[in-house]
Amino acid sequence: MTKDELQAICNKIPYFRFLDFTIETAEPDSVTTTMPFADRHIGNPEAENYHGGIVASLLEATAALSVSDDWDAHPPKPINLTVDYMRPARSGTLNAKATISRKGRRMASVATVAWQDNEDKPVAKGLFHFLLV
Amino acid sequence: MTDIKDDEWIAQMATLWQTRSKGLIHGLNLQVERANREGVRMRMPFNPNFCADEAETLLHGGVLTSLLDSAFGLSIFLAVGEIQTMATLDLRVDYLRPAKTRSDVIVEAQCHHQTRHIAFGTGQVMFDGAENEVVAHGTATFALTRGDQGAGHWSLRPKDGNEK
Repeated sequence: MTKDELQAICNKIPYFRFLDFTIETAEPDSVTTTMPFADRHIGNPEAENYHGGIVASLLEATAALSVSDDWDAHPPKPINLTVDYMRPARSGTLNAKATISRKGRRMASVATVAWQDNEDKPVAKGLFHFLLV
Repeated sequence: MTDIKDDEWIAQMATLWQTRSKGLIHGLNLQVERANREGVRMRMPFNPNFCADEAETLLHGGVLTSLLDSAFGLSIFLAVGEIQTMATLDLRVDYLRPAKTRSDVIVEAQCHHQTRHIAFGTGQVMFDGAENEVVAHGTATFALTRGDQGAGHWSLRPKDGNEK
């Protein structure tokens, strides 16, 4: 799907609007997104770090968008995920990239990474499986 | 384990966790229904903003993951007791059923094992009224720094013993 088509999905899915990310790039096998920091993303009362669930949510959203051919007819159904948290995600922009590892007719496997200022210092990596039918 | 001071500390921590929550935990409107060293149980009212569809009938998987991560945090904090910092190492979630209902969401989490440096958690998400049907199952590991000051970034202890 094109960048504009993916952005249109982001604009209409309630939880994607809550996350408030935008599409940066859309390639056949990868999608990148970017999300501004917001107070509602904070994870704990002491430090203004992202909640781990928000990091996982941005990764899952980016992964789902990367494998979708026709979102309205067949939104990808998440099967499972594994997220590795590597660094604290501090207040500031969070970026994500999803790269399709394998996409068949029924299943897709997607590798994701999230980073802030430096793409070489990821805050988290995630693997996601989706059912496409 | 069963002395009154311990019970009081747990009740105080569970209350602080909820009343001092901000950000996502506040936004989820999580209500602690049970919290002790054996595990926690929380309730989230249905919220259309967390849906994955325009018809607002299906909760997004990321919300279930966020619920599990939140419940792991409190359950491990209570189970370990003396904790200075705590960081999620990894989180795995299996989505077993579509989250297609407007019922309240129930999340339960337990710390099933702990070593000096690591705590292991397991948890599940169900809907009110259908608690025998697990919607999502999660496991997580946390890296711990133990200590008795509770001054670390993840601490919920009252500072100077008098903060409410």
